Amino acid sequence: MIPRAQYFVFALLFIALTGCEKCNPEPEPLPDGSVRLDMDLTWESEPYAVQQVATDHNGYPVRLDNLQLYVAPLELRNNAGEWTTTDDVFLVDYSVHAQNMTIEVEPGTYEAVRFGLGLPPEINTDIDPASYPNDHPLSVLGSAGMFWTWASGYIFVKYEGKFATEQGTQLLESVSYHCGTDASYRTVTLELPTPLVVASESETQATLTFDAAKALYGSTDAIDLAVDPVTHNANGDSLGGRMMDLLINAWNIEVQ
Amino acid sequence: MIKGVNKRIGLYVLAVLALTGCERCQDDVPPCSTPDCSPAATPYTLEIPPFFPPMDIPEDNPLTVEGVELGRLLFWEKELSIDGSMSCGSCHLPQAAFADPNTYSTGVNGAQGIRNAMALINIGWAPNYFWDGRGLTLEEQILEPVEHPDEMALPWSEAVDRLQNSSTYPELFQVAFAEDLITKELVAKAIAQFLRTMVSADSKFDQWRRGETQLTDEEFAGYEIFLREGGDPETTPGGEFGGDCFHCHGEAGLQFSDYLFRNNGLDSTFAADPGHAAVSGNPLDSGKFKTPTLRNVALTAPYMHDGRFTTLEEVIGHYNSGGVPSATVDAFMKVSTGGLQLSPVQQTQLIAFLHTLTDTSFTSNPAFQDPH
Repeated sequence: MIPRAQYFVFALLFIALTGCEKCNPEPEPLPDGSVRLDMDLTWESEPYAVQQVATDHNGYPVRLDNLQLYVAPLELRNNAGEWTTTDDVFLVDYSVHAQNMTIEVEPGTYEAVRFGLGLPPEINTDIDPASYPNDHPLSVLGSAGMFWTWASGYIFVKYEGKFATEQGTQLLESVSYHCGTDASYRTVTLELPTPLVVASESETQATLTFDAAKALYGSTDAIDLAVDPVTHNANGDSLGGRMMDLLINAWNIEVQ
Repeated sequence: MIKGVNKRIGLYVLAVLALTGCERCQDDVPPCSTPDCSPAATPYTLEIPPFFPPMDIPEDNPLTVEGVELGRLLFWEKELSIDGSMSCGSCHLPQAAFADPNTYSTGVNGAQGIRNAMALINIGWAPNYFWDGRGLTLEEQILEPVEHPDEMALPWSEAVDRLQNSSTYPELFQVAFAEDLITKELVAKAIAQFLRTMVSADSKFDQWRRGETQLTDEEFAGYEIFLREGGDPETTPGGEFGGDCFHCHGEAGLQFSDYLFRNNGLDSTFAADPGHAAVSGNPLDSGKFKTPTLRNVALTAPYMHDGRFTTLEEVIGHYNSGGVPSATVDAFMKVSTGGLQLSPVQQTQLIAFLHTLTDTSFTSNPAFQDPH
């Protein structure tokens, strides 16, 4: 026999517990906000546009005619030190005006940006571009000119143009750097100068600047266009890897 | 009394049920599937071959059996030229993989253009049209030749009048598009539907890719040359004594074209034909033309935008020499390093491979031939 008082206690307990559940539901997560990184291009920190003639570190006049690169993934680190990532793949074509990369993230405060320069192995090799819809950057049409073969995968960075070894002469020598292969995949991490505060359902902007001149030289290496005007880094050519290393330090980010 | 009332009520209920029931049935069935209740066209299922990308078909021009067949009739319709002597097919011959074996096509007035007619192969996958890319959609591209004075020279107003007054076309347009009034846009839509069905995917290379046959040693050696970097590594960094073909005629999606615009070193000045620069307005696009597909390339002579080469041997010879320098020549051309430098044997192997891209089931497909 269970005394009535115990029934009463059980009942109270039941109400209290289930009542608590009802009164304190898990808060609905706020809808994501978006972060838009506007892609700027400079040459030695001066504004630069594809097809402009600039001067490289050796004094050669250079004109880039085609500058494209893949970025995947794009990640943000919040103020708790956690990285948030997306599956988005970006093909940045600097000959196209006003390029940007936009991702959706949870509202919060972010302190750093990290991105893969190129494509991680799992989406680089042994992937059929025909398996993507045509508007995807890895599709046959979306990757036009940026795909080698199924085995060697995609071209991560295409840096093409013309140069001359003397100022004042016509630019007739070709420069053609195609960097790729899994071994050439690099990661760039940039601490934000000021935190990026992302609010729900709103867009926050920052500007990611690529200095194209820095692709050719850095503190420990330099590429001479006259000596090494070509790399198609599909077969272990070290020049492509050298350029990818240089590219790591060719970036700058500013928060609006 | 009550019995009588009940009966009347019962009848009312029955009547209401019967009437509302009928209304419901009518609601479930659309009154008719086309605006004027004409029979609807039959959806056409386009089979996408293995390894091909999806084809983007405009939402306002889905493929239908009747639309495709109407498109075929119109493609071969000589009444779309001013003197009734030429159709689209006059310059896009089946035996030439729907290209023109003449260097320049001759229009109804005897005039010639300045470019070779492009082959119509798998153009449903192309993102732009014409050698210079001035056509952004297939439907848009089709509108040009009919009224071009150097081609069919027939004003569209007269073209649609002829079709409208014919004994057969109005009904065919009615079935295909549920429209009584024929317009040039509907003509273009029908021909575009037909062209999108012109799929070449059964060459020896396709069969090999599907594991259905073997390439000969010579063909396979040519394929490897096709995929290797070009040039002598002593003079061309990264060179592998290959053909360097795959950069522009890549096998991704098995279309053998990147659809980009390139200057392949044919000329050093471009006043005669600026190419893509005339469309983009950018002088640095001078001398650039769209990369054509290599499918059926053995059938599509003459070659290049102006048909200057008559054989594949001449084409390979051009790339082997490196072409001529200019401010816009493509970085892939080995202009200053002596060209590809393929040996005669390698050239033969490469040409053997190119022949594996021939698809005679495409060129002889009854569905693409002249129905008139």
